[in-house]
Amino acid sequence: MIEFNAVSKQYPTGQLALYNVNLKLNQGEMAFLTGHSGAGKSTLLKLIALLDEPSSGEVIVAGQNTKTIKQRKTPAFRRNIGMIFQDHHLLLDRSVFDNIALPLKIEGMRHQDIKRRVRAALDKVNLLSKEDQFPMMLSAGEKQRVGIARAVVNKPAIILADEPTGNLDPDLASDIMHTFKQFNEYGSTVLIASHDHELIKEMKKRIIVLRKVKTTNTKAGLKNGR
Amino acid sequence: MGAKYHQSGSFLGSLMGHHKEAIVYSLAKLWQSNLSTWITLAAIAIALCLPASLHLLLQNLKSLTDDKREVPTISLFIKQDISEQRARDRGELLEELSQIDKVVLVPRDEALKDFRKITGFAETLETLDENPLPHVLVVTPHINLIGNPEEDMEKLAAKLNTYPEIDLVQMDIEWVRRLRSILRIAERAIFVISALLALTVLLVIGNTIRLNIENRKEEIKVSKLIGATAAYIRRPFLYTGVWYGLFGGVMSLVLVHLALLWFVGPVNELARLYGSTFVISGLSVATTFFILFASSLLGLVGAWIAVGSHLRSTKLEE
Repeated sequence: MIEFNAVSKQYPTGQLALYNVNLKLNQGEMAFLTGHSGAGKSTLLKLIALLDEPSSGEVIVAGQNTKTIKQRKTPAFRRNIGMIFQDHHLLLDRSVFDNIALPLKIEGMRHQDIKRRVRAALDKVNLLSKEDQFPMMLSAGEKQRVGIARAVVNKPAIILADEPTGNLDPDLASDIMHTFKQFNEYGSTVLIASHDHELIKEMKKRIIVLRKVKTTNTKAGLKNGR
Repeated sequence: MGAKYHQSGSFLGSLMGHHKEAIVYSLAKLWQSNLSTWITLAAIAIALCLPASLHLLLQNLKSLTDDKREVPTISLFIKQDISEQRARDRGELLEELSQIDKVVLVPRDEALKDFRKITGFAETLETLDENPLPHVLVVTPHINLIGNPEEDMEKLAAKLNTYPEIDLVQMDIEWVRRLRSILRIAERAIFVISALLALTVLLVIGNTIRLNIENRKEEIKVSKLIGATAAYIRRPFLYTGVWYGLFGGVMSLVLVHLALLWFVGPVNELARLYGSTFVISGLSVATTFFILFASSLLGLVGAWIAVGSHLRSTKLEE
């Protein structure tokens, strides 16, 4: 489902974020991406979601080389990826319902179907009672769950999460991780960047460790865990 | 990853849904908005007001000049040494001409009487030894013979000028022609002013939309992240531009008509003093729609320009 072949990413500032990364994630797999901060976890996820492009090497998502995807097709491509961020990226002037409905509205779904799908997503993250509230009225954990509901509401083939539990206390964090596991069981390929080692170990899923690029010319590859 | 978008209904159906959503959303945003929106609308309205009212002024001046109820006449001033009887005979002969409908003789004494009545020059006239006024033949041309009125009238006038009794031929349409040529120049001036003010409206709306985009950067970013197309993101802004143009246009029409109401009284008074049946006219339905259409279009184009450069790229700068 996701394949990295000798991918490097250097930012225009000269900073080398990824160097010679090789990685393969099968359809329906769930994996954690870990490593020190600055090891390029976020960059790796961005390359998958077409939020950035590799300097060299190729990224293949769902059998498609991301380099060959035209800019015009990018939005449609992104709609098949549910992305969750550490800072939830919710729209503060819209209700929980409207936030989650956004991807479906973009797809042009009918109102009745949107209602049904949003309720189903809210139910999965246990927030059914909060659909009329606004993000400011929610706790950090709830906001994160709204973000997850929005990412999964259109049943994406791939779910990417960048430090989804970064701001949460351990109980909540574990709760969120299990929610992801659930979505993986429904069939989505899930890749989560996290540095919460304890929690990751608990989940008993494949762990991918990204090593920090120390200096140029140092092979900072990738070690596949387990 | 298959194409699983537009799962429900046709492509057209979802597109209409998108437009409906954008319309409702942009209207709601405008409705909730603050003082600055009203100031923007007022600026647009005033900018549109000027060309609209100039157009109205021109329209009214034109209607003043082609008043069909008054058939144009030609006045023939008879030479001083010609007797009233000879003038009358000439008039009768003229009446036989096919181009001429009617000839009325105004004898010099009668003319003097009328002149006294109208102008209040009575005392001045008293001081004169003799009547300075000539006999006048007022010729009414056959209106149905006149295809190109101005040209035919001119030919007729030239012909009349050849008669020995006639001193001077004066067409009543002379002033009309002069006014018309002035109006033609005014028309161009108004066009230039309109173009400049249209540009102003374009810039005002463009800038407003640009600020709007600036304020909603986060929303745009999130929308891009979850796969919104550029068209989807652009749409509410374009509608906002159209609303600015449309509502600004409506406001300008209201302003123009209020101003018009204020003018009706004095203008009618003036017309009465001149013995004219002239009535001030408002904007026609076609012009009203044109103004609304043009202002909406300006809004759309202004918004398009503002949005275009900002949203063309689907890339994200974090």
